[in-house]
Amino acid sequence: MDASPLTDFSHRQSAHCESGVAANLLNHKGIPISEAMAFGIGAGLFFGYLPFIRINGLPLVTYRAAAGHILKQIAKIPGINMYQKKFRDQNQAMAELDAALEASIPVGLQTGVFWLPYFPRALRFHFNAHNLVVYGKQGDDYLISDPVFPEPVLCPAADLVRARFASGALAPRGKMYYLTKAPEVLDRRVLIILGIKSVCRMMLGSPFPLIGVRGIRFLAGRLAQWPSRLGRERAGLHLGHVVRMQEEIGTGGGGFRFMYAAFLQESAEELQDQYLRDCASSLTAAGDSWREFAARAARVCKDRARPGETYAAMAEQIRECAALEENVFRKLEHWVKRCP
Amino acid sequence: MKPFERELLELICTTCRLQDIELDKIGSDDPLIGPDSPLGTDSLDALEIAVTIQQEYGVRMNSENTSRVVLQSVATLADYIKKNR
Repeated sequence: MDASPLTDFSHRQSAHCESGVAANLLNHKGIPISEAMAFGIGAGLFFGYLPFIRINGLPLVTYRAAAGHILKQIAKIPGINMYQKKFRDQNQAMAELDAALEASIPVGLQTGVFWLPYFPRALRFHFNAHNLVVYGKQGDDYLISDPVFPEPVLCPAADLVRARFASGALAPRGKMYYLTKAPEVLDRRVLIILGIKSVCRMMLGSPFPLIGVRGIRFLAGRLAQWPSRLGRERAGLHLGHVVRMQEEIGTGGGGFRFMYAAFLQESAEELQDQYLRDCASSLTAAGDSWREFAARAARVCKDRARPGETYAAMAEQIRECAALEENVFRKLEHWVKRCP
Repeated sequence: MKPFERELLELICTTCRLQDIELDKIGSDDPLIGPDSPLGTDSLDALEIAVTIQQEYGVRMNSENTSRVVLQSVATLADYIKKNR
């Protein structure tokens, strides 16, 4: 089959693949929505430090909700139906994709970045939860709206199969999804409140000390001990990992804080609420603090630390991030309780 | 290369302590970060550059204008700063 591209699919570059795909699919269904708003109502913000889960031998640090969480939340919105399917058979997976394209349906796919040939080689790493939208086929190439690229890209079918069936952690197993139904308008007020409530619960109310604001403080405590516990070299590896997870994977910790701040700002405009505007400013300050920590950590990793840039000082900066975030989410929790 | 672009390039070299870089051989549109960059900078350098730009020019790279987009070349960086200063 040779489906021509859907001429009305609008590709928009985004900072983070999952929220970008969610926003692009909703826009295609006639619901104008920004990436930040999709991230917010999808309750995408999170923090978790999970040392018992290892990535390349280093503890998992995550600054965002688990892969798939945003799309799951979007799919739960009243009036929205999302068709989702995983496959065992590669041919069947590609045949279903082709059938959807033939029916002029743009299709979201979960893929492994390592197998996507249009990614520069240096940026291909084994991350299996990269989301993109396929919206056409030209000969043996699929036309792809990959939200982290400025323009649509082409991907040969054989490579797309490999990417859809990449093995390892978070293996996509051919996962495809598309919207079958969407309301004419979203009840944004309700969705904003529910999204904020969900993030407040995760950041403040988790009983686990490794999650939310408590998790940020736990990381600070561990980080301060790394040089004495692990030695200089391993401490540097751990530190570099924390920063890469923060700033390199997707939009990272500081970036995610900025995106959530953009969501709060947009919500403030939508609801004409100065309180939310103030919360957006406070969260931006938290993002700046994370980024300042990351810049210090980068200098330490690169052996160009400035005087006073020690692990103890970096731990203190992370504690400041925790304090700033706790302050914001307490305020937001209060705001949610006030909402009728 | 325009004077402001040259100023930015010098700031980047100072920030990242890059030595033996022949600035005259670097073009406005050359990649700033990554293996194809003549500066040999990586994502950790990008992070430090983003923070330095914010401190020096008061311009933040945020969720919509990520460092990945803004730091494509010294020309894109100069444009972004001029538009958002």
